[in-house]
Parts: sequence; structure tokens; C-alpha cells
Amino acid sequence: MAFITLVSKSLLLNPLRRLRPGRWLRLLAALLCLTPVALHASAFSINDIHTEVKEGVHLLDANIDYRFSDDALRALSNGVPLTVHLTIEIERLRKWWLNDEIATLEQRYSLQYHALSHQYLLRNLNSGAFYSFPHYPAAVKALGTLRDLPLLDSKLIRPAERYQVSMRVALDIEALPSPLRPVAYITPAWRLQSDWYTWFLTP
Amino acid sequence: MVLDTLKRLTSGPKPVVLLFVLLLASLYLMSAATQNSEVFGRLYSLLLAINILAMLLLLALIGRNLISLIGQYRRRAAGARLTARLVIMFAILAVSPISVLYYFSLEFLHRGIDSWFDLRTEKALEDALELGRSALDSRLRELLRDSRTIGLELARKPDSTIGLSIHAIRESTDATEMTLLTANGRVVSSSSLDPSTVIPTLPNQAILQQMHHGLEYAALEPLHDRGLHYRIVIPITNPDPLGEPRLLHTLYPIPERIDTLAASVQNAYTKYKELSYLREPLKYSFTLTLSLVLLLSLLTAVWAAFFSARRLVAPIRDLAEGTRAVAEGDYDMRLPLPGRDELGFLVRSFNEMTRKLSRARDAAQQSQAQAEEQRAYLEAVLGCLSSGVFTLNQHGSLRTSNSAAATILGIDLNEIAGLSLQQASVKYPMLEPLLETIADHLAPEHGGWQAEVVLFGGSGRRVLICRGSPLQAEGELPGEHVIVFDDVTALIQAQRDAAWGEVARRLAHEIKNPLTPIQLSAERLRHKYLKQMSPEDAEVLDRSTHTIVQQVESMQEMVKAFSDYARPPKLQLTQVALGRLVKEVLDLYQGDERLRITLDSKGEMPTIEADMGRLRQLLHNLVKNAIEANSDNAPVTLRLLVHCAEKDSCRFVELRFEDNGPGFSEESLDQLFEPYVTSKPKGTGLGLAVVKKIVEEHGGIIWAENHPEGGAVITVRLPVQAKHREPQHSDRSRPLLNTEAQLSRPRTDR
Repeated sequence: MAFITLVSKSLLLNPLRRLRPGRWLRLLAALLCLTPVALHASAFSINDIHTEVKEGVHLLDANIDYRFSDDALRALSNGVPLTVHLTIEIERLRKWWLNDEIATLEQRYSLQYHALSHQYLLRNLNSGAFYSFPHYPAAVKALGTLRDLPLLDSKLIRPAERYQVSMRVALDIEALPSPLRPVAYITPAWRLQSDWYTWFLTP
Repeated sequence: MVLDTLKRLTSGPKPVVLLFVLLLASLYLMSAATQNSEVFGRLYSLLLAINILAMLLLLALIGRNLISLIGQYRRRAAGARLTARLVIMFAILAVSPISVLYYFSLEFLHRGIDSWFDLRTEKALEDALELGRSALDSRLRELLRDSRTIGLELARKPDSTIGLSIHAIRESTDATEMTLLTANGRVVSSSSLDPSTVIPTLPNQAILQQMHHGLEYAALEPLHDRGLHYRIVIPITNPDPLGEPRLLHTLYPIPERIDTLAASVQNAYTKYKELSYLREPLKYSFTLTLSLVLLLSLLTAVWAAFFSARRLVAPIRDLAEGTRAVAEGDYDMRLPLPGRDELGFLVRSFNEMTRKLSRARDAAQQSQAQAEEQRAYLEAVLGCLSSGVFTLNQHGSLRTSNSAAATILGIDLNEIAGLSLQQASVKYPMLEPLLETIADHLAPEHGGWQAEVVLFGGSGRRVLICRGSPLQAEGELPGEHVIVFDDVTALIQAQRDAAWGEVARRLAHEIKNPLTPIQLSAERLRHKYLKQMSPEDAEVLDRSTHTIVQQVESMQEMVKAFSDYARPPKLQLTQVALGRLVKEVLDLYQGDERLRITLDSKGEMPTIEADMGRLRQLLHNLVKNAIEANSDNAPVTLRLLVHCAEKDSCRFVELRFEDNGPGFSEESLDQLFEPYVTSKPKGTGLGLAVVKKIVEEHGGIIWAENHPEGGAVITVRLPVQAKHREPQHSDRSRPLLNTEAQLSRPRTDR
């Protein structure tokens, strides 16, 4: 049986470590635009995290509140698919050295409006799972509901160690149509993401 | 090493041309990406970043060039102004058309994008979509009615046969799937057209939520990989009154033809809506791309302007620097050839010119070295001469001299180099007799000349034999003179000493030797015959022999005095306080009634290096000369003035003897200091000759004159060594320098 401890919703102590090549690119692009970009850090929020071990696998349940900006909703209603990027990182805490990254899980979801059927189509771009919803709230609610997401094999967890899980969701600007990307990089309404949600994971 | 390699690789046009090509390629890709090309679309942001970075790089490159140019401009480096003008001109030429092109391109671009969108097209697409939707909706309503009928039928079937019933009903309809499930989503029974389907397609949670409220659900839905389907979910009654409510979930396919058409309309509509929505971002992206192209063109043009200007100005700058180097005397500079154009011809001509100049310089240096060698040789020869040599230019100024000249004259001749003879006399008064003699003979008609000059300076009396000749050698300027002189002071003194020594020796031999037998003979005659003679004869003999003896003794004294005069000087030089010595000597004459002495001493007297005994003799002789010069018995008044020539840096002390006697006759003044020349009734005639000899032994001079108010004046000047001089104020007083002819007479009429 696993339990979780809520630590904070702020950024980690060493945020630069989280900058992967893709993030570097975005950061660079944002810097090159030379426009002070206020991130909509509060646009998305992660709530109700729960992990448990089932059949030797740590499973995650979470509710994510997606509050897309008006610009994003207007684009969605005009047929532009919105892609959401979910990143989960699991690290082993080390006292005198940098944390050891055990696993990284990335999930991408696409939300699109189908004009002919008035349906909102939700795709898990990793698994290919496809859902359609008759209205936007149902689609966003389904997007924000994570159930039994496999995190990690429990054998990888050593009892004497402490493990930290961090999770964040963000709108993937790179998945937008290319004419929209320069605008999206320099427009706060498009810089939608959540804070890093961090908790400890123990066996 | 690494830095040099890096600098070599990044300098020159190649890297920038490469950068330009890469940028163009990148801009092309970005332009393609803007049009939503699949491949380039993913790289759009990366390409954008690369382009902006490259622009910054180009900007930095231009900035570096600009800073360098400003630095050169401020330093007024060669070619900087021309480079600046060319850069400005090129930049203006490049910027103007590009800016115009940019403006109109932007206009066309915006209008072109706007022209893509048409309200009628949009309305037609919406109508088509609505039409499709209406067509599909009518079928949906029919299927909903069918589903309700099926639902009523199934509600009557027991659970044991419900599976077969569902299968039979699905078979009888167009449904691809038919599932009976509970309100919570649990499958009771299911039938599918596809036999491989194990898990039936279930309604999602939102639909189930809707069912909880007793509502029906009928909608057109796109299914994953299966196209559009009708999904109908209706609640049905459970045969078991205690059982939970049930739902009938049915999927109906759309005919393939309709599905294709619907998908086409949907895609076209979605694309159009998306494109319409992206109209402004698209304009923004195109504008961005075009601006980047403009910036790239501008920056490349500006850089090309720098590069071209540098290339154009480089040979001109080289020429300017080369000309400056030649002006500074560097003839070895060779400029790199820029090409075969007119500038190349100019540079070749410059290199040829410097080559010839270099050769001419080398030849001149060789000639100069030879001349210098000859001059050094001549200087060495002149330096080895014991005679002083100097030359005067046509203006009478000292041009060159040898070291012996400076040694003989006792001054640094460089200090009067370039000065006229008169200016040199003012600077060094002791040289005045020599310079006047030279000036008297400088006239061209004199030709070669020779003169004897006496200088009187700090080292005493110097006699120079001076020879001069105008220079008429080839190459010498007319009017130049060469003067050669020798210091013959010691030679003359030696000759004079030798002559008088010979006279003294002959006198001693020829006169003094017979005197003793004469005296002895006279005394013998007196001794032998005086007692035998009568008193009258005895008196005659006594008087005669007494006279003979007395005269012989007198002659012996005279010979001794002359011998003393002519003997070689053996001076015992000591530091003598002249003032004290004068007082001591004069004190001896205090009780003499024949003499009234007035001593007038001005200031403190320096010590002089002299033989005290000889000086004492000099003073006695001069005092006696004054006493003996007086023929009557009236007492002689002697005024002795002793002073240091302060106005002449105290180079000598002067003793001036003034008496109130008859003075010297005009005839005797010239031979006054010669031996045996006297106008006095008494004396040997050697007194003043001895005095003059003592003065000359001490390097001094003496002259005699008559006082305008009567009486004789004898002036003695004795040199003072430099180390004993008092600190003086100036060196402008008239020197005591006389030619041999003026030695015994002062230059001024006193």
C-alpha cells in the first residue's frame, strides 16, 4: 500500500534540471522574441493526486483542471487541435548530490472540435485511445481525469530511499500550426501550463 | 594557434557567403514551414531561432567592422575616411531599393492573404456542412425511432434469451454493434457485425451520466478508424422489476459514399475555418519571414559594403602607408599587388620607385660612410698633431677644430663654434689677441700669413706662433680659412735661458777668471812696494792698487749678478699670501728717509703659487729702482697699489708701483727691461731685467709707463690659479693680453 505526501505546488529546487532539449528550444525562442512573457502558470492546476500499488505497479489517479484561455478556445472552435503535454518525473533523492532520475513519463493528449458532428474529439497520442464528447465540459473533464496511469514498477523502488514525483501539464505550442507558433510564444494567452506538482513516493 | 586558425577561418568573404547561403536556405525552409508543410512545420521554431541567431551573428560582425572603422577614423588611419564614405554610399544604395521592395511586398502579401478568403466561399462551406448535417440528422431520427422499437421488444425478453434476441435484431438491422448494458455501464449482452470484436464499443461516462437522468442519446460520432457512425443510447425497461435500469447502445454506420462526402465537407470546412482563423497569424508569420529576409539582405548588403570598401581601399591605404613610410625614410617597403587593374599598375610603380630609392639610398649611405671614414681619418691625423688647427668658414665663424687647439687655448672650442670672431672675443676675452690677429689677416689678399701672439690667461702667459691660409682646395667654399698654431712659450723661454746662460758662462770664463789674478797682483804690488816707496809714491800706489782691487771686486759682483740673472730658474713654488709678503718687504723700508711709501690694498688677496724668495727680490728691486731713480736728495713718494682683478674673475693680481720721480724717457721705454739698460746714475742695469725675468718665470707680465701727472708707473700682473680664485661675478673685464710688441706697454694710453 502506498501513500502520498503533498509537498508543494511550486517549482523544484533545481528547475534548470527540468529543461530538456525541447524546453531549451522553447526557452530560447521565448528569449529571442525579447518580449517579457508572463506565463499563465495558473491556467492549469493539478489536484487530487493519488497513487497506489496494484499488481506490483504504482498507479496514479489525478484530476487536472484545464482552464484554456479564450484565444485557445477560439482556436479550438475554429478547428485548431490543442495538444496538452503531461510530464511526470520520478527521482530518487540524494542528500549530497543531485537527485537521481529514475523514470520520466510523458503523455500527450489532443483535443479537437468536429464541426459536422458537433463533437469534441479527445485522443491519447501515446496510446491512440480515442473518445468523442458531445460538449466541451465533458471533453475537458475527461481530459483532466487520470485514472490508473501506470507510473513505475514497484520493484524499482528501494525501501530505504526517498522518491519524489513531479508532475506538470502544459499546452504544447510546438503542436500548433506553424503560423500560430511565433504569436503563441510571445502571447501570454497561449503560454498555458501548470506549476510543478511535487510529492514523495514511498513503497 | 587555435585562435589564429579560428580567425583565419572566420575572416574573409567565404564564411559570410556561407552564412548568407545557409540563411537563405533557412529562410526558404521557414517560408515552406509557414505554408504548413509537414516536414518543415516541425522545424519552424528551430528555423526561426536559427535565423534570428544568424542575424545577430551578422549584426555582431557588422558591429565589429563598424567599431573598427570608427577607431580607424578617429586615429585618422590611412583610408578610413574613404572606407567610411564607400560604406555609407553602398549601404544607402542597398537599403533604398530593398526598403521599397519590402514595403510593396508586404502590401502584396497582406492583400494576397486577404484574397484567399471570401465570404461566399465560407457561406457555401457552412451551407454544405449544414446540408450534410441535415441529411444525416433525418436518418438519425429514423434510427432513434427504430431503436426505441427494438428497446420495447427487448424489454419483454427474458435474460436467458436476450443474447440471441439482440443478435437476431442486429442481424435484421444495419447496426454494426448492439449492446445491452446496465446504467452503470456493465455489459449484459452484446452483438457485433465484426466477429473479432471481443469488447464492444461503450458509451463514455458523459453519455452514461446523461442516461442517469432518463434522457436518450442520439448523435453522429466519428469513431476511431471507422469513420462516422450514429450512436444511439436509450434506456429500456428491465424485465426484472427489481433489476437495475438498462440501456441499449447501438452503432449504425453511415453509407460509405455519404461517409466519404461528409468527411470531405468536414475536412474542407475545418481547413477553411482554421485558415480563416490563422489569417492574422499567417500575416504575422509571413511578415516575420519577409522582415528576416529584409534584415538578412540589409545586413548582408551592409557587410558587403564593408567588405567591398575594404577591398577597394586596401591598395589605396597600402599606398598611403607606403608613402608615409617612404617619407619617414623607409625605402624597403613593398606593397602587395592588388591585381592587374589601374591600382595594380600604381602599386607596381610605387614598388619600382621604392626599389630605386632604396638603391639610391644605399649608394648615398656608402658614399657617406666613405666620406665619414675619410673624415675620421683626417680627424685622427689632426688629433695626433701637437699643433692646434681650426678652420673658419666664409663668415669668419669657427667651423672645425682639433683637440690640440682646445688643449693649447684651454677652452672648449665647441662653445664658440658658429660664433663670429667678435662674439667669440666677448665670450672668451683671453682669446682676443689671437682672434684679432686672425681677423686682421682674413682678407683674401693676405694669402698665407704667420704671426706671433701672446695670450695671457689663467695658465699665465702663452706665446703662440700662428699660421693661417685661405682654403682653396677643390670643393671647399671660398673664403674659408685654416689656422694652425703652436705654443712656443716653453721654446722661447728655453732659447732665452740658453742664450743668457751662454753669455753668463762666457762672462765667467772670459772676465771673472782674469779678475782674481789682477786683484791678487794688485794686492801683491801694494804689499811688496808700499813700504819701500816714498810717502808720495806710496800714496799713489796705495790709491791705485785700492782702486784696482775695488773695481775688480765691483766687476766680480757685476759678473755674479749677471750670472745670477742668467742662471736657469729653480723656482721653489709655494702658496704665497701676496698681501702679507708686500707688507713684510715694505716694513723694511719704514725707517728709510729717502722713501715715503703708501700702500693701497683693495680687498682680500688670494694666495698665488710662487717662489717667495724671488717675489721678495722682485719687490726689493722695484722699490730700489724707485729710490735710485731719484737724482736729487728729495724723498721719493712711492704708491703701491695691490689688488685682485675682481672684474676679470680674479684671474691675476696686480701690483702697481707709482713714484713721483722723473719717469722714463721715451727712448728707454722700449728697452727698459733689457739687461744693462738704465738711465740711473747708480745700479748694475739688471734690476728691472731681473724683475721682468721673475715675472715671466711666474707666468706674469710687466710693463712700464709714465704717469700723465709725472712719475713712473710699473705694473706687474701675476696669474692666480683657478682653485685659489674668489667666487667672481662676471668674466667681462678687459683681459691682460698683449702681443710681444705690446708687452712692455699697456694697450691704453695712460
